[in-house]
Parts: sequence; C-alpha cells; structure tokens
Amino acid sequence: MTPYTSFLYFSILAYLSIPTIIIGLIGKKRLSQAWLIIAMVIMLLIQYLVPQKFLGKTTVEGFWLVIAYAVFQWAVAYGLLLLHKSGKDKKILQTGFYVALACALVPLISVKAAPVFQAVSLIAFIGISYVTFRVIDVIINIHDGLIAELPFVYFTSFVLFFPTISSGPIDRYSRFSQDFSRRRTRREFINDLNAAIYRIFKGFFYEFILAALIKTYWLDPAGYVHGLSGIISYMYAYSFYLFFDFAGYSAFAIGVSYIFGIHTPENFNWAFFSRNIKDFWNRWHISLSFWFRDHIYSRFVFSAMKNKWLKNKYTISYFGYLITFGLMGFWHGFTWYFVTYGFYMAALLICYDLFARFHRRNENQSVFRKRLNHALAIFLTFNVVCFGFLIFSGRLDPSFTPTQAPISLSSARAAK
Amino acid sequence: MSNSQEQSAIQEKVLGILEEITGTGEIRNNLDLSLFDEYVLDSLGLVQLIVSLSETFAIKIAPAEVERDQWSSPRKIIENVEKRVAQK
Repeated sequence: MTPYTSFLYFSILAYLSIPTIIIGLIGKKRLSQAWLIIAMVIMLLIQYLVPQKFLGKTTVEGFWLVIAYAVFQWAVAYGLLLLHKSGKDKKILQTGFYVALACALVPLISVKAAPVFQAVSLIAFIGISYVTFRVIDVIINIHDGLIAELPFVYFTSFVLFFPTISSGPIDRYSRFSQDFSRRRTRREFINDLNAAIYRIFKGFFYEFILAALIKTYWLDPAGYVHGLSGIISYMYAYSFYLFFDFAGYSAFAIGVSYIFGIHTPENFNWAFFSRNIKDFWNRWHISLSFWFRDHIYSRFVFSAMKNKWLKNKYTISYFGYLITFGLMGFWHGFTWYFVTYGFYMAALLICYDLFARFHRRNENQSVFRKRLNHALAIFLTFNVVCFGFLIFSGRLDPSFTPTQAPISLSSARAAK
Repeated sequence: MSNSQEQSAIQEKVLGILEEITGTGEIRNNLDLSLFDEYVLDSLGLVQLIVSLSETFAIKIAPAEVERDQWSSPRKIIENVEKRVAQK
C-alpha cells in the first residue's frame, strides 16, 4: 500500500497510534520503544507485503526484500565497524571503506540503471532511493570514527523507520538513535503530539487540497497547451505542484515521526522566498541538500584542500558544486532532464558565487531601494528555480504526454 | 606555560584563522556571533576553517564532523579546539 495516499492507510496509522498515545499519556516510558518496533513491523507488512507495481511492472513481494536489504546493509556496516575496531592500518581501512560503499550502493545502482537497459531490477522497492542515504550516512560515520556501536535493532529501525521510509526526510543515524533511546516524559509527549497534529493537518491541506487543485485545474490542462505559453504555464503550475505535493508528504512523514518520538528533520523553509540560489538550497528539500552538502560537497572540498589538489579554494568549491549536483541529478534518475537539472543548479550556484564575490554591495542605499532589491532578488531566484523545475519535469522531453503522471519527489508516485 | 595561558594562546590563534577566512573583525567583538545565521561563514568557509585548524593544532577532525552546530560561534569553535588539544 502506498503511504499517505489512501483513507485506509491513514486509518491503519490512526489505530497504530492509539497505543503510543495511551503509553505516552500514562508515561510508561519503557513500553513506547517496544511498541514502536511492533508498529514498525506491522506497517512494513502493510506497505510491502502486497506485490507492488514498480516502474510499471509487478515486483516480487516486497516485505522480505526490505528485511533482506536491511540485514545485508547491516552486515556491510558492521563488517566495516569490526575492521575499524581491529585497528588495521590506514590503507586497509580506506579500502574497506570503498568496498563497503560499493556494496551499499549496488542495490540502488541496479535499480537506477535498470530502465536504461529496459529492465526492472529484482531488488527494487519503494523507498530504496531514500533509504540508501541513511545507510551511506552510517558507513561514512563509521569510517570517520564517529559511530562506535551499531546494534542491529537501532540500525534496522533507523533504515526502515516506516513514517519516512518511502521518501524521507533523510534523518542521520546519530540524531535518530538519540531520539530512539530517549524516554519521553508525559509533558514531552504532549508537545510531540501537538507538533504531530499540526503537521498532519498541514499535510492534508497541502497534498489533498492545494496540490490536488493545482494538478486538476492548472497542471493537467497546461499539459495540453502547445507552444511557448503552454510551456510557461506548465512551468509555474509544475513548480507549485512539486512543492505542495512534496511539502505535504513531508509534513505527514514528520508528523507521524513525532507521534512515535522521533524528531525527523524538516524539508522546507519558505523555499520560494529565497533571495539567491544558495539560500534556496538551504530551504528546499533540506534533508536531501544537507546530506549532499555534508557527505559529498564538504567531503570533496575537505580532501581537495587537505591534499592540495587545487590551489584556488573557489575553483575547488565549483568542482564541488558540479560533483554534488551532478550526482544529485543522477540520483533522481538516469535521464537527460534529471542530469541537466543537476548541472543547471550547479551552474547557477557558480554564477551566483562569482556575482557575489565581484559585486560590492552598496551599503548607502535607501531603505526603499534595499527593499526593492530584496524583492527583485526573490523574484529572480523564484523564476530561475522554476525554470530548473521545468527541465526536471520532463515536459521538454519529446516523449512527454499530457496524460502521464507528473514527476513527484515523493517516491510513491514517482515510483522511485 | 600555565593552563590559562595556553588557553588564551589557542583562542588568539583560532580567532586569527577565523578572521582570515571570514575577512571580518566582527568575530573578535562578539564571541557568540552566530556565524551561519549572519552569513559570516558558509560551507566552503567551514571546511577551510576545519582544515586550517587541524593543520595548525595538529588535531584530527574528520570530514563527517562538519556538523554545523558545534562550529556555529567563535566561542564554540575555541572550546572545541581546546577540548581536542587537551585530548591529544
């Protein structure tokens, strides 16, 4: 069953939340973790036991696949941890790290590359794209010596945490495990429940009202309009649809996480009011962009500076942008429009950085002038971002048909 | 060298590095300046800071430790470095 899309799904979720709420209100702290694990197994069974349509074809029964995936990834991560504890020399540890990364990535790459060969990977399941980020996070942190223990229950609960398994937000292991072992007081529980209810209603409003209205009355009709005006209309409609659809999903995922005591990180922060492209990537799909920032961009820049690969730090940073956003493009899928979208974003970041460095800001402007500039900056950023989403939407691809489902960031509908 | 002298030497060095990277003396006036919120430091600056600190003080800072919270103000950075130097 696809998460957060049907009445039945929400009903089951509501029933499973009742014990958590009772446990939270009477303050039996120990029970809540046990119930979380039981609820997780039930939800995974419901979400994955039914054979699923994946990329248009029915795949094998997902539940056992998901469990096998988690066990495999735990074995990979645990193997690396043991290697670290054995105190081998640096070279072996480095090799071990690359081997572990490769093993962890094999399932995802097989899924992403399969359509290129007109095949369907046998190990595909809804959420594999997002879940892989969590596994890689664990492996990187083990390699950097920041994870000393890796209990199976913690790792599996983190990787398969059901509210966020299908499309994130992407949590980090160190943050998650703190919440997972935390015992909530009654007061804390009530705060969490408040936050959860607020987000779940926001989710309904965004996804089932705004996104649905935009799709029915603007996006779908715009798909039929030929010529430039049709494309421009589609561009804005799609940008709003993409936002409300995914922000709605994220609100559900975060809300349900809070009920179970996990403070899943936020995904959006007024992204369409960003004043430049750098600002935008701190506000749009935050859990994804921060993951890339910390584990790809910063890591690359770190190595490049330390080993003095390049002299100029800005050149290093620009290569960092290209690698980071190029990878993000490929992660979305091996199609020209996803990859172009990635490099387009990298190019924007580089251009903005050059502009900001060589353009001295005039501090003596009037208040009116400052406000005007600010508004213009927001307007400009919004439009270049929307153009990026137009590329991302696949509307410019010759195979586009108005009847196809719009590409969404939540894997349930995008079948990622 | 006594402990407090050593600490102020660290503080001076850290502030010097931070001043060079951010290009502003503001960080000396306010040790609790919120570096990321005030756009004084970005991802590039943070990595540069960490590479620089690990070279200057011969301490080990892993790339995954680029967790923004622990480097978000001059005071936090100084405390962080002092802790790591002491553990060395």
